[in-house]
Amino acid sequence: MSLHARVRTQLGSLGLECDISVEANVTVAVLGPNGAGKTTLLRVIAGLVPLDEGHIEVNGAVFEDTATRTWLTPEARRVGFVFQDHGLFPNLSVLDNVAFGLRARGVDRKTANTKAHEWLERVDLGRYATSRPAALSGGQSQRAALARVLVTDPHVLLLDEPLAAVDASARLELRRALREHLSTFTAVRLIVTHDPLEAASLAERVVVLEDGRVTQEGPFGDVSARPRSPWIARVVGLNLLHGAVSSGALLLDDGSSLTVATGVQGPALATIQPRAVALYRQPPDGSPRNVLRCKVAGVDPEGDRWRIRLDGPFPLVAEVTPAAAAELRLAEGGEVFAVVKATEIDVYSV
Amino acid sequence: MKRGVTRRPLIGLVVLAAIAVLFIALPLIGLLANVDWSHLPAQLVSADVLTALRLSLECSVIAVAISLVIGVPLAYLLARTSIPGRRLMRGLVTLPLVLPPVVGGIALQTAFGRTTPIGTLLDHFDIVLPFSTAGAAIAEAFVAFPFLVITVEAGLRQRDDHFEEVAATLGARPWRRFWRVTLPLAAPSIAAGAALCWARALGEFGATITFAGSFPGTTETLPIAAYSSFEGSGQVGMAITLSLLLLAISVLVLVVLRDRWLGALR
Repeated sequence: MSLHARVRTQLGSLGLECDISVEANVTVAVLGPNGAGKTTLLRVIAGLVPLDEGHIEVNGAVFEDTATRTWLTPEARRVGFVFQDHGLFPNLSVLDNVAFGLRARGVDRKTANTKAHEWLERVDLGRYATSRPAALSGGQSQRAALARVLVTDPHVLLLDEPLAAVDASARLELRRALREHLSTFTAVRLIVTHDPLEAASLAERVVVLEDGRVTQEGPFGDVSARPRSPWIARVVGLNLLHGAVSSGALLLDDGSSLTVATGVQGPALATIQPRAVALYRQPPDGSPRNVLRCKVAGVDPEGDRWRIRLDGPFPLVAEVTPAAAAELRLAEGGEVFAVVKATEIDVYSV
Repeated sequence: MKRGVTRRPLIGLVVLAAIAVLFIALPLIGLLANVDWSHLPAQLVSADVLTALRLSLECSVIAVAISLVIGVPLAYLLARTSIPGRRLMRGLVTLPLVLPPVVGGIALQTAFGRTTPIGTLLDHFDIVLPFSTAGAAIAEAFVAFPFLVITVEAGLRQRDDHFEEVAATLGARPWRRFWRVTLPLAAPSIAAGAALCWARALGEFGATITFAGSFPGTTETLPIAAYSSFEGSGQVGMAITLSLLLLAISVLVLVVLRDRWLGALR
């Protein structure tokens, strides 16, 4: 099973323009900031938002094609959509909610209820069968919504911010349960999230969507190690620089340059781990290192590593221990020298 | 709201508000003071009262049924779709709210009277609306049906169509979505609208007497019977008994709807 979509659609100020392919047995996470068009992408695939131009097919069956004026109704697409708010019908019991999709597809009440019960047991909600959705916690309601779509055996599973409506304490457990259920489901799986941790733990492949465009895709490890956009670099906690390499120096767009150790030539991106940025009150001398005169723009204590935002030739984040921060008497507006070894700068082609 | 500068209300406003309360309360007190309590039970079960009561219930229930069958779909179209002429339709639907009921009765007569095209057509099927029980029900429906449409439309507007979308992705086709999702979720507003519509139909007088007349057993509903005893035969006692009955029903409707209407103001 597979999903191929070429999506062009304008919704208010958001122009969604992306191509996406998902193979079976691989969970793909669409990762991006709020307002990037992630939910719209899912709604387009489900048939809730029409394409302006494009093509969507699943297992060779065309859902929508603007060239041939093909359009399948949402109910004909066999798409399992777990909405961000879970969308459980408030007037139906949890069991009737889970049985709803089967009943809608013509399964008789008895069979539908039996199957719904089985699924409620699988997601550990058997004792809530007769409850109303309002009686469920965020995590329970998420599991009920998941059971409700999985019981219908959809060809495509769409999860919109699956853990957003769940409180933090229940997230770890739910993420584990979710990963388990996803692994037993063989069809196409597409998850939307703004949380890199969720993408990393639930998906094998990540598609970064920003402002309606795909900016990067690949295994999460690759994407997080070598981000291609400032947003993804920030959420994975890396400094991202953009410039061009020429004879051992990375010339940045702002005119400054850094000594680098790389075989890459021409336009390039470079990342620097915040903990690889050393801070000094006096400019150190010696070895071929990059020394940048900076002003402290902000100090964010985060546990035993403090993140220091720096204003230099370009913005930079350094990570130091609280003890080092105290010793350096780091305060907003103060002057420091940031030192980065050439070997600590990871350079890769654009 | 009850704090700061508005805690001590202006004396002049208090006086006027008290007059307002008395204005509503005094007639009701007058009514209750003039009830002949000793003869009340006998009067309530007298043939005349029971006939009028049965007829009133019949006509008002038919009026509510008509309003439900055609009013809910209209409310749905007005609330959830963007069909052309929506504003005009909404204006038209609310017109009976402000139209003098007598005018409604005369208008019905000019549309469905025996000599009109529609009346002639209905005559072929042996259906006569003017001065018949069916006509009384139609007149009540005409006046009461806006209450249902407006209440249901407001109820449908409170929610967007998110749950209909959910149902669609679960494989439910449009009619199933309407029956299984839209209607059940709108049930509270449909019930409230039906109750209001019924109360209005039960008290309907002007359109009914103009279109259907006042024939005991056929079209003489409770309000018409109250008016005839009061004005025509001078049986003030009977008029008061019938009024008391209508008052009791109105209070009952208020109690049933109190959470919905008064609760919202609390």
